[in-house]
Amino acid sequence: MIERILILLLFLVGFSGILARKNIIKKIFGLTLINSAAVLLFVVEGSRVGSQAPIMEQGISQVVDPIPQALMLTAIVIGVCVTALALALAFRLYQAAGSFDIDEIRRRVHDES
Amino acid sequence: MKRPSVTSSAIPLITAMIAVAAVLLPIFLADTPWPVGARDYLQENGFGDSGAINLVSAIYLGYRAFDTLGETIVLLVAVGGTIGILTRSGAILAEGYTNPDTVAGIDSSEEEIPSFSLAREKRKSHALRTHLLEVVTAILGPIVLLFGFYVMLYGHLSPGGGFQGGVVVASGIVFLGLGNRMESSTKLTQAAVLGRIEAAAFLLLILASISGILLGKGFFGNPLSRFTAVPEGFIIMLNAIIGLKVGAGIGFMCIAILGRER
Repeated sequence: MIERILILLLFLVGFSGILARKNIIKKIFGLTLINSAAVLLFVVEGSRVGSQAPIMEQGISQVVDPIPQALMLTAIVIGVCVTALALALAFRLYQAAGSFDIDEIRRRVHDES
Repeated sequence: MKRPSVTSSAIPLITAMIAVAAVLLPIFLADTPWPVGARDYLQENGFGDSGAINLVSAIYLGYRAFDTLGETIVLLVAVGGTIGILTRSGAILAEGYTNPDTVAGIDSSEEEIPSFSLAREKRKSHALRTHLLEVVTAILGPIVLLFGFYVMLYGHLSPGGGFQGGVVVASGIVFLGLGNRMESSTKLTQAAVLGRIEAAAFLLLILASISGILLGKGFFGNPLSRFTAVPEGFIIMLNAIIGLKVGAGIGFMCIAILGRER
C-alpha cells in the first residue's frame, strides 16, 4: 500500500512540474517523472503474483508476471525518445527566443509579431 | 528568485492536483486479483518456445518481436528528429557553451582559476569540464562499454537484454566523448560512425526478421527452431543487433547534444 501511495506522489510531483513551472526544461522533466511513475506502477502490479524474478533457472517457481515488465521496457524506450525530442525542441526554442521561460518566450514572440 | 503572484496561482494548482489525485487514486490503489493465466503459460512454455531463460527476453524477442520492431522504428525516428532539429539550427550546442553568459565564471576570470580546470587554450572548446571529469570518464569509458556488451549478450540468461545493454553502451560512448584528455579521439565518438552503425543494425534487424520466412516460419519466426530444440541463438543475435542499434542511436543523440559534431 505504501509503495503505491509513494508512486502516486511521484506522479503528482511530475504533474505539478508540468503545470506550475515556467521553465520548459522543468516541464520536460516533469513529463519524465510521470513516465517513471507509470512504469513503476505497472511493475508493482505485475509483482502481485509470485515472488521471484522471471528468470527460469533451476528450482525457480512462482515467478512474478513478466508481461508488465516486457511492456514497460517499451514504455521506457519511448519515454527516452520523447524526452530527447522535447529537449531538442526546447533547445531550438531557446535559440529562437533566447529564453526557457514560457512567459518570456510569449512576450518576445508577441513583440516581434 | 522572484515568483510573482504566488498566491493567485497556488489555488488553481492545488485544485488541479486534488482533482488529479481523486481521479488516479482508484487506479493506483486497485486490488483486483491479478490474472495468473499468462504467467503460468509463460512459466511452462517460455523457455521451450524461445530458448531464453529470462522470460522478459522471451516475450519481447520471441512472442512480441513485431512490437520490438516498431519500437526500434520509433527510436530511429526520434534520433532522426533530434539530429535534424539540432543540426538545422546551425552550429551545435558547443557554441552555446562558449557564449559569455554561460561560461562567465570560467574564462573571463583571469586571476582566480580552480585547480582542476583545464589548460587555458582548451577552456574555450571544453567549457564546464575539469581534469577530474576528463580523467575519470576516460578511464571508466572502456569498462562501461565492456559491461554494456556483457549485459547485451547475456540478456537471455540473466537480467538484461538489448535495450538495457544498449543504454549502458551509450553511456560508455558518452564517457569516451567526455574524456578526451590526450586528444586521442576514438571513432566511436564521431557522429557519422554512430549513424552508420545504427543504420546497419536496423538493416540487420530487418534481415533477421525475414530470415524465418525462407524456412517456412512467419515474419520474425525463429529459423533455428527447425534444427535445435532450444533455439536460443536467434535471441542472442536479436539482442546483439538491438543493443548495437540502441547504443549507437542514443549515443548519437548524446554526442550531438554535447556538441562534439564537427
